[in-house]
Parts: sequence; structure tokens; C-alpha cells
Amino acid sequence: MSADNILEVSDLRVSFSLRGKMLTALRGTSLELRRGETLAVVGESGSGKSVLAKTFLGMLDKNGRVESGSIIFDGQDLARYTTEKQWLGIRGKRIAMIFQDPMTALNPLKTVGEQIREAAALHRGLDRRTSRLAVIETLERVGIGEPELRYRQFPHEFSGGMRQRAVIAAAVACRPEVLICDEPTTALDVTVQAQILDLIKSLQRDLHMSVLFITHDLGVVASVAQRVAVMYSGQVVEEGSVEEVFYDPRAPYTWALLASLPQLGVKGEELYSIKGTPPSLFKEIRGDAFAPRNPQALEVDFVEEPPAFPVSPTHWARTWLLDPRAPCIEAPRSIMRLRERLSKARKDPGRAGKASGGEA
Amino acid sequence: MGPYVLRRLGQSLFTVVIVVVSVFMLLRLMPSSGYFTREDYVNMDATARTAYLRNMGVLDNPAIQFGHFISGLAKADLGRSIAIYPRTPVLTILAEKAPYSLWFGLAALVISMGLGLGLGVLMARQKDKVADGIGTVYVTIVRAIPSLIWLFLIQQWVTGLLGWPMVFYGDRPVSWILPTASLSLSGIAWYAIWLRRFMVDEENRDYVRFATSKGLPRRRVMTGHVLRNALVPLVQYFPQQVLLTIAGSLLIESIYSIPGMGGLLVNAIRQQDNPIVQALVLLYSVLGIAGVFLGDILMMLVDPRIKLEGSGGAKAGKA
Repeated sequence: MSADNILEVSDLRVSFSLRGKMLTALRGTSLELRRGETLAVVGESGSGKSVLAKTFLGMLDKNGRVESGSIIFDGQDLARYTTEKQWLGIRGKRIAMIFQDPMTALNPLKTVGEQIREAAALHRGLDRRTSRLAVIETLERVGIGEPELRYRQFPHEFSGGMRQRAVIAAAVACRPEVLICDEPTTALDVTVQAQILDLIKSLQRDLHMSVLFITHDLGVVASVAQRVAVMYSGQVVEEGSVEEVFYDPRAPYTWALLASLPQLGVKGEELYSIKGTPPSLFKEIRGDAFAPRNPQALEVDFVEEPPAFPVSPTHWARTWLLDPRAPCIEAPRSIMRLRERLSKARKDPGRAGKASGGEA
Repeated sequence: MGPYVLRRLGQSLFTVVIVVVSVFMLLRLMPSSGYFTREDYVNMDATARTAYLRNMGVLDNPAIQFGHFISGLAKADLGRSIAIYPRTPVLTILAEKAPYSLWFGLAALVISMGLGLGLGVLMARQKDKVADGIGTVYVTIVRAIPSLIWLFLIQQWVTGLLGWPMVFYGDRPVSWILPTASLSLSGIAWYAIWLRRFMVDEENRDYVRFATSKGLPRRRVMTGHVLRNALVPLVQYFPQQVLLTIAGSLLIESIYSIPGMGGLLVNAIRQQDNPIVQALVLLYSVLGIAGVFLGDILMMLVDPRIKLEGSGGAKAGKA
């Protein structure tokens, strides 16, 4: 494990038993979260983003379990944790999580302050009075005005944005090292979204947290993250810096994902959409999971799963196109335009050459 | 909250008056032959019957009769029984019978809540496991089989097995056990199944996931969040259940010959013992309405989202 990484997931397999059938939600997911960075995990619904987040806190549903692989956090393999006692040392204390819907994340019958305080008191061993003061301080830090009054209020007296601030306050009250944000802005108004993103960014800076940001909104990715991992059917298919993945994507799925962004479409041309549906996770997937939906799939894609090929020291992708023996298949035109913009933007021609070298 | 409570009190009082007046007047529409025993009716001639009825006061204008009833009420006089306990003040009858029903009812309520809520928590925590299965079987049996059948079986078998008396004796505490237990059985099932259901509902809420992600031990999540929230819908019924224990249980009291209130209303109606019917209707409607009212107040105290204001509807606020 590299010293830069605070969390390192390798080859993680997670499956659920559903009415006697096995559903494999994560099929060998690998991921690295660096210290102090924000890593965005993107992918469509059902790609395993949320399951991945839950495994970091040992909060898989009862019918799910980690089959193999490892989650190394501070030298410990979280994938081997079994007892609640082990997890209690991690959950909320060192790895905290923010959920998608702030309207339902808080207990409607308890005051907002109490819900933040109960965690803070537990993890930091504070008494009622001290922990109350700490909570009021945290409320103020996350931008909640009149924190003393707000402490005593109930969730229904908060607006959606304020509730998400309260949820964030509860998550950061114990100064976690890692903050997992599971689509924290999806349920919010667009105007509030930006405020919440700014809040998360500033908290990350101040508290030196590493953030794993799960989203399907690529606009959000660009504004918060330094690096991005693209997930498809329970696997990370491409990981690299935001710049690399957005402007020089290599995996066919990433191409398809980016090409279907309305912003990248050209006026007059029909907007690209990915044909077909993701594969059933109940069946064993042979080869590249995206191959059946990829019109340019190679023969080998249907037979053998592509390994991760490095594109640059910070960028890799799982696609046979990166194999030296692969034929040269052009990315869609919209992607090519992005790539041109990248090479123009890059003053250093050596790096750009290296980045495109893997294509041969 | 103050004005709301006052308005609700006014409404409740109005409802009680409506109930009492209508029952009072309806009783006066009954055929007068109902006031006689079969034997008396045959033996008396028309004049004697009229004299008998006049003596009873049932031939007066109903409005005047109602006036008597109200002025009696002001003096804490509910009148005297006619047919069941001739000439005994109704208040004396109630004072004698109510304590039996009340004590059995309260004891059963405490047991029902203690065991029922405990069983509910156990079933919710062990959902789909053995304890949950056993609990479900128990609840299903108790709720599905007519209570008359198992109440009777308990009386027959358990008394025989343990050598306990078949009926109630005020001076033999051992004879109090079976009626109380029988009275509790369905209450236990009621509390268990509803608490289980509400807890399972709550357990799948997002806030439980969030509470867990904060690092609270499962035990604390269950008690501090799930159980607490699951009890809210049950709290509403609590005052009613306490107050209406006084009405007693017709079935249990007749099976074990307990001289309680159960069956008194039915008997009084059958024998046209108007003063007793009036008194009981007044009592039960006051208690029933007070129970609903207190239930609403209690709900408001435990659920901050409910504000009993404005047009009087309970409103769950969503910002």
C-alpha cells in the first residue's frame, strides 16, 4: 500500500443472496483514495457505487457479504471485519458518511442537536454540556445560523439545504479522516447544491479529510473532485485525474458516458444514448461487461475480461483497446474533440504524447 | 395549544350531551311492557299496570324525566335501579362493581404492555428467526380463534391441572390469577404484533441507517431511535385503554363469575332498567371521549411534528 493512500480497495467482490439467487454487486472493484483528495465515483444506477460506500462502513444489508478482496484502511483490512465492535471503532469516528436524501436522514422525533450530539459524545467521550457546546460550534461551522436555537429544533423545522448541513455537521462532528458522500446533492435544489458542494470542499480543506464522492452528475465531479473512478456493473473501468478521464477517456464505457452528456452534443446532431441495458448481475458475466452494448466491441471482449492497462502513472482503464495487439479504434467524435482540447491546453508536449502513446 | 385544548374540551362535552340525550330519549320509545316481569304483566290489570308505571316515573313527559335526571346528576344522584337491583341507588351498584373490573383490567393492561411490548421488541429484533416465528404463531392463534373457545379451554384445563378454583373468590388470591391472565392474552398479542410491525417499519427508515453510520451501537439505535419512534403510534390508544378498563369484560367476568361491570349494560338494556343504562352510557361516553382527547394530547407531546392548531386536524409538517 502506498503511503499516499488512506483507503485502498483491491479486487473487492460483494454479493447478495436474493430469494435463493446470488447477485454479485461488486465484481472485483479496485480503487485508491489518496490522503486529502476528493475522488469521485461515477456510474449509472446499479453500477455498485452505493454498495461500495456501504462496505466501507460495514453496513451492507443482512443478505450481503464481502466474498473476497480487501479494503485497506490505515493498515487494517476492513473486508475482514466481522463484529460490530470492530466496526464501531471506524463508523462515524474515522470514516463518516453523508446520505442522499437529507429529508429522511434525520430522525423526525429527535432534535437536530441531539442527533449530532449523541455521536459526538460517544466518539469523543464528552459529557453532555461539553458535547453540546461542540455541536453548536459545528453547526456554526457548517453555516447554520442561530446554532443555539437550531440545536433545539426538530428536522421538520429545517429546510432541505439546512438539513443536509445538519447531516454534514453530524458526519464531521467527530473529525473523521474519510468522508463518504453518497449523492449528497441529488435531492437538493440546484441553487442549494452549489452551496453544499462549497461547504464540503471547505470542510475537507479545514479538516484535512479525504472525500469519496459518489455521484452520477458529471458536472458535480468537475467541481469537487481531483480524481475520478468510473464504475460499470460492479467494476471500476477507468480511474484517473478528472482531467485525464474527462478529456482523454480510454474505456468504451467512459466514452459512451461522456458522449451522452447533452453539453457535448453538437447542435443539430441527435444526442448520443447508450443502447441496451446493463447486464443482469444475477448471471456470471463473461468478458467485458460493457461489450454487449458496445457497437465497436472486439471479439476478445466477449471472451475474456480485460485487465487494467495503465495509460499514464495516474490513469488506467480496463479495456482490450489498450492492449498492444488491439486494432486502432477511434473514440467517438465528441470525445476526439475533447482530446484535442486537452492537448492544446497542455503546454508540455512530452506528457501529451505519452498519454496518447497507449493507443497504438 | 391552550385555545385548542379548550375548544376540544367544548367539542367533547357537546358530544357527551348528544350521546346521553339520544340514548335517554330512545329508551323512552321502548314499549312499556318491557318494564314488567312476565308474571307481573299477566297478573296485573290495566289500572294496576298504569299505577305501576306512574310510580316508576316512566309515564311523565320525557323532557321532564330528563330534567329529573340532570338535577339528580348535579346532586351526584344517578337514580335508583328499577329491575335488576330494585330500589338500589345506581351509584351504589357502580361503586360495588366497578372496582372488580378496574383492578382486573388495570392488572391485565400492565401485564399486556409489559409482556406484549417485550415480545414485540424481541420479534422485531429477531425478525424471521425462531422467536419471531413463535411469537407470530401465538398472535395468530389468539387473534384468529374466537376468544370464547380458548378462554373456556383455559378455565377447564388449567384449573384442573393446577387444582385452582374454577370461579372467582374475593378472598382467595389464587382465583384471581386465571381471569387476569386470560384478560391479558389478547392484549399481549395486540401490543406485540403492532410494536413489531412499527419497529420493522422504522428499522428500514433512512434515519436508522444514518444513526448507524454515525457509529451508534445497534442496541442504542434500537432503543434510542427505532423503539422510541415505534411507540409513538401506540401511545395514542393508551389513555382509552386505561379509562375503559372500568367497563370490564363481559366474557371473562361471566366465565369466572366476577361481580364486575361486564354485562351490566347489556342486562340493563334487556330489562329496561333505564337509570342504569343512562348512568352507564354517560360514564362510558365520558371515558371514551376523554380517552381519545387525552390520546391526542399525548401524541402531540411525543411527536413534535404534530401541532394541534388551526382547524383542529393533526398535521405532520414537512418543510
